[in-house]
Amino acid sequence: MPLQARVRGGVWSRNSRWDDETIMIGGSISRWTMTYFAAALTWLLAALALMVAGIGHPAADLAAPDTLVLVHVVCIGWLSIAMCGALFQFVPVLVAQPLFCERWALPALALVTAGLVSLLAGFMALGARLPSAPWLLPLGAVLLVVGFGLIVVDLGLTAWQRPSGPARFVLVGLASLCATAAFGAVFAFALAGWAGRIGDAVLARGIPLHAIAGLGGWLTLTAMGVSYRLLSMFMLAPDVEDRKSRITLAAGALAVATTVGGGAAAVGFELGLNMVLSIAAVFGLVCAALYGRDLAGIFRARKRRQLELNMRMAMLSFASLAATGLLGIALVATRTLSAHLGAFAFLAAFGWLSGLVLAKLYKIVAFLTWLETYGPVMGRAPTPRVQDLVAESRATKWFAIYYVSVWMGTLALLAAQPGAFRMAAAAMTVGVVGIIHEIIRIRRLEDVALPLRLPAGAVAPHLLFAKT
Amino acid sequence: MTDRLLEDIRGALRVVIDPELGENIVDLGFVYDIAVEDGAVRITMTATTPGCPATSFLKEGVEAAASTVPGVAAVDVTMTFEPAWTPDLIEPAVRASLGFAAVN
Repeated sequence: MPLQARVRGGVWSRNSRWDDETIMIGGSISRWTMTYFAAALTWLLAALALMVAGIGHPAADLAAPDTLVLVHVVCIGWLSIAMCGALFQFVPVLVAQPLFCERWALPALALVTAGLVSLLAGFMALGARLPSAPWLLPLGAVLLVVGFGLIVVDLGLTAWQRPSGPARFVLVGLASLCATAAFGAVFAFALAGWAGRIGDAVLARGIPLHAIAGLGGWLTLTAMGVSYRLLSMFMLAPDVEDRKSRITLAAGALAVATTVGGGAAAVGFELGLNMVLSIAAVFGLVCAALYGRDLAGIFRARKRRQLELNMRMAMLSFASLAATGLLGIALVATRTLSAHLGAFAFLAAFGWLSGLVLAKLYKIVAFLTWLETYGPVMGRAPTPRVQDLVAESRATKWFAIYYVSVWMGTLALLAAQPGAFRMAAAAMTVGVVGIIHEIIRIRRLEDVALPLRLPAGAVAPHLLFAKT
Repeated sequence: MTDRLLEDIRGALRVVIDPELGENIVDLGFVYDIAVEDGAVRITMTATTPGCPATSFLKEGVEAAASTVPGVAAVDVTMTFEPAWTPDLIEPAVRASLGFAAVN
């Protein structure tokens, strides 16, 4: 093979540091990542509107139709779609290989969106907010399985080309997504009365398994994997030793495997789930502790001492993850976990996962917007820095409002104060709207000084997709 | 003549910046070597990390900037990550202005 050859806009070369295999240096910009982010943020606003309106209170019965609507808007609409959008850009970076099939990204988003709308309509029909239509839930499940299936195959085949380091987390996360979707599909068919006795038995006892595989396996392990690479890259820190991150992942994978495998066996043999969930919880706590150790190592070894806003805000999400673990321990020790499961899940979903996603969106959007707008004119005209696209001092207050209101909301849930929780949700909405406004300003280059904003040859970016 | 051309090329490359660090690639130490022979220029350079989507733009930017220098007939840019870039390659004054940790 020649030393260099141009392939798909990237440059391939030999590099002995990477086991002397052919790798791609410099990836391309994912065309639909912004579209995924826009869809995800729209669903986040919808979730916040539901919480402000008091529909689907997190502390209510998890099986209540309104709660199911809220939970799935958050977990599928917001977190999963945002995560998939980020992965379409970053899995190629993690493995230094092009995406298996860029063309699948948009149809997959359409299928997931249609599936989610159908699923939500099915839940609303269950709660008598819409006329009865049992077929909506199975239809939604099928559409979601096909949509996420496309994403899993696309990202999985891409990551599998170099399954090392953070890419391993993504692969385990994708496997967890498959398990989550499988449980969800059985539930949907069972709720429609189409799954027989076995389906009914899984529905009756399998909800914790579905939730842990989704929040813990799919979203948390994937977020951990991506954060390893992003933190090292943006702070100029050496990558975490492969041996360390592998042990962290092993603990997380064991937690998910115990939950899914052991849980399914317990349901099948009509045994109790407590032992299985206790073992999984221990593995989960070990994983979180090891992740904290790995993060501390990255922060200690970083060359860039001054932390940008996205890093400072990511630290608040890491603190929220630690608080989630401590809260879980306290609730188990006081035998109040079932009573406060909503507060626990809320802190995990909004303090840890949503906080991290919002912090990283702020950076990723600026970075991709810079690449799209100024990358093509590099060397031909002076260009601004990525940091010139953002106004951190203005954005800081929106993130502060967001995190403080999430923590207040958690306390309100623990104290069983629905009114206070709705006020906290309203404050969260203010913070999120502010962050979205900042992101739109980034896409419109509104904070770039006029002389540098659009040099000759540069094309202004589209708000919702990448032109290049 | 060649020394002057080399200086002109290095000056031209200063329009290319690393988008994250915000400094030009010459002062950041990304340019490992510039060789000139009969107007043909071969530049060997690196970036902070492989796989970053900015890397291909950096390479193309260097090609474009070097091509603008009078006396340059052709430009060939080679990207390498051997040796890997480290912050101790940054010009000391720039490193201090970036607020980097002391280089080990």
